[in-house]
Amino acid sequence: MSSDLIILLTAGLTATACGLLGPFLVLRRNALMSDAVAHAVLPGIVVAYLIFQTRAPLPIVAGAAVFGIICVLGIDALRGTGLVKWDAAIALVFPALFALGVIGISTYASGVHLDLDSTIYGEIAFAPFLSLDVLGAELPRTVVLGFAAVAANLAFVALLWRKLKTTSFDPQYAQAVDVSPARMSRLLLVAVAITAVISFESVGAILVVTLLIVPAAAAHLLTDRLTAMIAITVAIGWASAIGGLSFASAADASIAGMMGVVAAGCFVLALLAGPRYGLAARAIRRRRAGRRARVALGAAREAGAPS
Amino acid sequence: MGPLIDALPFSYTVSVIALGAAVLGLTAGVLGTLAVLRQRTLVGDALAHATLPGVCVAFIATGAKDASTLLVGAGAFGLIGALLVVGLERSGRTRPDAAIGVMLSSFFALGIVLLTYIGSLNQSGQAGLESYLFGQAAGLVERDVTIMAALGLGALAVVAALFRPLKSTLFDADHAAAGGLPIRALEVVMTALLVVAIVIGVRTVGAILMVAMLVVPAAAARQLTGRLAGVLVLAGLIGATVGVTGALLSAQSGLPTGPVIVLVGFLVVLACLLLAPGRGILWRARKLARDRRRLLVEGVLIDLETALHGGPPPTQHELALASGRPRRALRRALGDLERTGALARDGERIYLSESGAASVHAVLERRDLWSAWLEHGWRLELPDAREPDPRDLRASLGDEHADRLRALAAEARA
Amino acid sequence: MSVDEVPVHSGGAPALEVRRLTVSYETRPVLWDVDASFPTGALSAIVGPNGAGKSTLLRAALGLIPADAGQALVQGRPARSALDRVAFVPQRDAVDWDFPITVREVVEMGRYPVRGWLRRLTGEDRAIVDEALERVGMGPFARRQIGRLSGGQRQRVFIARALARQAPVMLLDEPFAGIDARTEATLLDLLRELRAEGRSIVVVHHDLGTVRASFDWALVLNVRAVACGPVGEVIVPQTLRRAYGTDAVNDGAQDGELRWVR
Ligand SMILES: Nc1ncnc2c1ncn2[C@@H]1O[C@H](COP(=O)(O)OP(=O)(O)O)[C@@H](O)[C@H]1O
Ligand SMILES: [Mg+2]
Repeated sequence: MSSDLIILLTAGLTATACGLLGPFLVLRRNALMSDAVAHAVLPGIVVAYLIFQTRAPLPIVAGAAVFGIICVLGIDALRGTGLVKWDAAIALVFPALFALGVIGISTYASGVHLDLDSTIYGEIAFAPFLSLDVLGAELPRTVVLGFAAVAANLAFVALLWRKLKTTSFDPQYAQAVDVSPARMSRLLLVAVAITAVISFESVGAILVVTLLIVPAAAAHLLTDRLTAMIAITVAIGWASAIGGLSFASAADASIAGMMGVVAAGCFVLALLAGPRYGLAARAIRRRRAGRRARVALGAAREAGAPS
Repeated sequence: MGPLIDALPFSYTVSVIALGAAVLGLTAGVLGTLAVLRQRTLVGDALAHATLPGVCVAFIATGAKDASTLLVGAGAFGLIGALLVVGLERSGRTRPDAAIGVMLSSFFALGIVLLTYIGSLNQSGQAGLESYLFGQAAGLVERDVTIMAALGLGALAVVAALFRPLKSTLFDADHAAAGGLPIRALEVVMTALLVVAIVIGVRTVGAILMVAMLVVPAAAARQLTGRLAGVLVLAGLIGATVGVTGALLSAQSGLPTGPVIVLVGFLVVLACLLLAPGRGILWRARKLARDRRRLLVEGVLIDLETALHGGPPPTQHELALASGRPRRALRRALGDLERTGALARDGERIYLSESGAASVHAVLERRDLWSAWLEHGWRLELPDAREPDPRDLRASLGDEHADRLRALAAEARA
Repeated sequence: MSVDEVPVHSGGAPALEVRRLTVSYETRPVLWDVDASFPTGALSAIVGPNGAGKSTLLRAALGLIPADAGQALVQGRPARSALDRVAFVPQRDAVDWDFPITVREVVEMGRYPVRGWLRRLTGEDRAIVDEALERVGMGPFARRQIGRLSGGQRQRVFIARALARQAPVMLLDEPFAGIDARTEATLLDLLRELRAEGRSIVVVHHDLGTVRASFDWALVLNVRAVACGPVGEVIVPQTLRRAYGTDAVNDGAQDGELRWVR
């Protein structure tokens, strides 16, 4: 595989893995929880490196999942006390965990094969130089992991499709038929934690959030149907990957950052020109409704006036 | 700043850092409270991320690396970010959490692109800008601190001058608007103040973790007082303390400043959440345990009285059988009663001492009074909005009304 | 109460009047061409099913949300310029009960618009606040944080804040929702007292029984104004059926008979 292809596949697969989860996060109003979880996996990575002294994916995924769960449960517990509101709970927990991770990296930099730069920028440019030994074959590491993440998320969404759909649309009904929306949210956020840690190597801890939220929020402006929303989200993800790669090499800037910027550009387009929920469409509709209302009001008055 | 720096018991550099951190903690604490009370904390997170591209654009535009020039860029982008978040939320389809998430991550991506672009232009120029990610107290110079202090004082003066309108808007925007307050304008003012706090802090704490500095002091202070003025003052003090402690620790250890400050702050919040009098988790747990214990002890007292009424003094074993209470609970309650001198023993057998009999009487009277309230309470004229507390009806109604209630009940019985 | 007992001050402008009011959220109208007026010195009710636009009517009348068409007058003057004559008690669902504020501070808010938002309160203001607290029986609770009160006590505080405003017109949005019977009776008495002092009071209320028993005037609303006039003429099966549909009428009537009103 050429190195360009490896980078493109890595970017596209990362965006796809995020895009499978993003629509649910946006629909369930969990966008900011996913932001928190994506930050919170950092100490998990550090701890896994320190304990197992390896870059093998499994321990790191496990470490990230554990800290993702700590983050979600911590926020829930803090809210549950009633002493702080939901937003403050989020803003208290994830910075503390992220700070823990950053301090871990700064203190044990050599031990964890990680530096703060890769936390922020990701290492997608180095993707062609990393390989993973799969059943004796040397395959590009990030592509293999990307495929694994996509497969895992696809399985997750397919297996829990009805439950995810029900709990996203009508949590109270879901509760009545014994599907706990809170448990679904937690499962979803664990999937986010695992996706975040796999994507972490390529796009860094924070730009994962861009890929989780922005394409899905754009798709939400374009369609009312869940399957269509997921398809559009994934499509925007690939567009961001392709656009990000080409613009980044043109401007000599971060690939991951440029993917985020392209995704943001797609969002702006959807916001302005979306067929139904776009600002332009809304303005036109509102003007028409206003005109109709004035006509109707006028007619009502004439009819009601004493003759 | 000069005399103040001389007055501190540190070396010049450390004094500058401490002062800077105090200013940032104070302003972030007070101004962050305005966001936390509106449940807009995470908008602060988005705005902090939005300052990153601002800093980069200012650098590209002017080539200057001094903090003050870059802060102008940070402030401008913070304000733009604020407008966009509000605009996006009002645009209808995008929910508030997604709106915040989209702004936050889009601006951050833009910031990363610009940072790396600057890095590719000029190797040496980038090093300074990177400290805006995780924060760095070490680079602060006296001029920066002077500017931070001037900005912070200005912002605090605005809060003091607009205290009443801000309080009214924060608590009940509808009512404030009906009283003629321009609440939209006040919300804009509060958001602008938030941007000021972020701009003051972002270099030292970093864009990623700045939100913690906004929320920590408010969350801690709210546990300690129930008045807005008190929360604002305490939040300022807590913010300053956390900022100074964290900055000094970081300067000493060489660790990035933002994370150290955030961890110090988190510990402070945790302590307040656990221990705050009247509110803290442990405080409430202890109170709950005490109430339960009292209920148990009173119940056992009545059980004992019932047993004594029906026969000879019971042994502990017989009392357990008769009351159906778990043995451990019974043993604990009897222990408590023993200690207060309510019990007397005759070998294995337990009966009530004189003071024990008096307690039983008091408990029974309380129960009677409560049933009297349920039955005849509606006939009782109360002089104010006092309400019955089932734990102690007499104290909550007042002696006069408790007696009147008993009279009503007696009248009805007769 | 019969029609001629209604204390309508003939000649003077009504306390609150809306003309041709139309309000929409997005493109959906929630108030359509509503005409209504509430007489000075009367205790008036706005009734209608959930989502009828009752809150919207009050909020639009005060200019808190923009109207598509129509106008609102307070004592004959455009409402926006007569806000100093109105005390408003909003619906309470949006209040953050954990907010760091004491009972007394909430009531003092009623004085801010009178005294000026940036001025210190004077001794006179403090006396007025004390009196308002006493009138609703909240004097002993003045220093409590607002969240440490019962539902009924909270509502008393908001009414005290409106009292402290000392405005001739009071608008209350569902003041009796979710509070105990004793508080409701006390507050209803208080509203009657205020009427006796000559104030004009408009209450959004959903208990038709209480409205019939204790109010002078009513607007029956369901997106359009179904009827507006003395309760005896307006709270009748024909209009209620048009606003609520048939079943609700009987329920409302029975509920009203059975209610405990002192
Ligand atoms: N801020 C809002 N945005 C959109 N729709 C709203 C808003 N507030 C109220 N509505 C809708 O307007 C209608 C009237 O609401 P409201 O005036 O609160 O009714 P009421 O007070 O009579 O129960 C309801 O259908 C409600 O769903
Ligand atoms: Mg309403």
